Amino acid sequence: MDKKTVTTICYLARLKIDKEKAQKIENDLEAIIELISKLQNIDTSNVEPLYNPLEKTALKHNDVIDSDNRKEKFLDNAPSSNEDYFLVPRVME
Amino acid sequence: MSIQFKSILELKSMLNSKTISSSELIEETFKLTKDLKGLNCFVTMNEDSAKQKAKQIDQGKYKNNSYLTGIPLGQKDLFCTEGLRTTCASKILSNFIPPYSATVVKKLEDSGSITIGKTNMDEFAMGSSNETSFYGNVHNPWKRNYVPGGSSGGSAAAVAAGIVPASTGTDTGGSIRQPAAHCGITGMKPTYGKVSRWGMVAFASSLDQAGPLARSAEDCAIMLNEMSGHDLKDTTSLDVEHTDLLRSINNPIKGIKIGIVKEFNLNDLDSKIQERFQDSKKLFEKLGAKFIKISLQNISASVPTYYSIAPAECSSNLSRFDGVKFGHRSKNSKDLNDLYIQSRSEGFGDEVKRRILIGTYALSAGYYDAYYKKAQQVRRLIKNDFESAFQTVDLIMTPTSPNTAFEFDSKGAQNPVELYLEDLFTISSNLAGLPAISIPHGMVDDLPVGLQLIGNFLREDKILNAAHVFQKNSEFHLAKPSLEDF
Repeated sequence: MDKKTVTTICYLARLKIDKEKAQKIENDLEAIIELISKLQNIDTSNVEPLYNPLEKTALKHNDVIDSDNRKEKFLDNAPSSNEDYFLVPRVME
Repeated sequence: MSIQFKSILELKSMLNSKTISSSELIEETFKLTKDLKGLNCFVTMNEDSAKQKAKQIDQGKYKNNSYLTGIPLGQKDLFCTEGLRTTCASKILSNFIPPYSATVVKKLEDSGSITIGKTNMDEFAMGSSNETSFYGNVHNPWKRNYVPGGSSGGSAAAVAAGIVPASTGTDTGGSIRQPAAHCGITGMKPTYGKVSRWGMVAFASSLDQAGPLARSAEDCAIMLNEMSGHDLKDTTSLDVEHTDLLRSINNPIKGIKIGIVKEFNLNDLDSKIQERFQDSKKLFEKLGAKFIKISLQNISASVPTYYSIAPAECSSNLSRFDGVKFGHRSKNSKDLNDLYIQSRSEGFGDEVKRRILIGTYALSAGYYDAYYKKAQQVRRLIKNDFESAFQTVDLIMTPTSPNTAFEFDSKGAQNPVELYLEDLFTISSNLAGLPAISIPHGMVDDLPVGLQLIGNFLREDKILNAAHVFQKNSEFHLAKPSLEDF
């Protein structure tokens, strides 16, 4: 876990780490990676991954409308919106 | 008559005999929340609506009459509550008012219970000590400046201090059981899929499960009866019959087989914690239980497995917090990409950032097979071990936590892994999707100690039966903190 890797994953996660905390975060990540690296010693050849304890396939819903249009309620929570849309800084000049 | 420290059944009996009205009960509850404000167990109160609902119940306008009608409850602050702020103890959701309620909240409220407020927690449920909340630490009711455990620390402290008889929690790696243990109450994580996750802000979707924290196993059964059920809105919800958990709770436990995990070296624990464990084993034996040594060969891998899977799922789930549709938006952004970065960086605390970064790393190109897939393979081995064990035993007994509650800032500050290892006994049931309970079983140095019982898939009935019979034959669950420092 070097500075370059930390910078890359910070960008992928859209997070910025304060300069004074950078070294601490780097050390923490290193310690966690060391912890999870212990799994490498376990033989898992021919073992199927278990992504969910139930291993069931997702249920399909009938294609019917079952809730009211709550556009206003959802837009009310937006930091910035107009009548119909969430607003963000201009993307295209 | 004081309502403090009363169980659901005791309060229900007071309501039924009209010793107290629903409105009086709610008034008294809010008085307790104010007297014990120093515990910091609530983030947001629901006083006006709660009083209004109590009044309706008194006026007979509320039709349902279940065990929970008129009973005050705390709701962990990661269940969406329509019209009532839901923060997940994070700055990023400090202004979020959900447009709908979580299925769990709706079911409990439909049964007549009264939500009195949203309980404090570790930010986004990431933590084992309730020290990562943006709204400050929750104090352990047994000792000021000691952690209540986490992440459902506020829910546990509110019950332990006798403010409410029960509250909701969520458990991703021990977040119900460990705070229940540290606060001297009973807390249960049900089978994955038994309780709907709809409206519960997701941390690690394949591990998260909601459950109750209460003063006894019997009260947990009452809560869980109302919380459980199939929900079409949650595709991982189990479409099975949910039996009444009170029906078999009094059955004799003579002949029940309880497994002791040989890979857990209990000799490494504090000698007084070992003594409590041996005492409880003797009590169960006296009640007719038989103990059998079992092997969970891969159990020592559960902490690294969890700390690979949970952060990966967290990094994916928390990508939705971007300052666009709801939550905190930075005022210092230059463009759209910067808006995401600034909003997230200002909104999330250090532990949440750490877990997002680890998850992003574990899922990134070149590392996916080595960390994420590998962990999911080990997870299957852990589940297989449990399946074999449950062919010979009914329950598995372990301590809930290797330690009692500790002082604020004393663990994990230098190295977060130190705190992660506290989850050793609780994590594996989340990985395997199994139900487990923590019940109080005595004190060590004036702090409560928890005992964990893990059951087979959907065998909450067996766990609650054993826990209830234990509690009928002991008084550990009746111990109360003096609260003189608050």
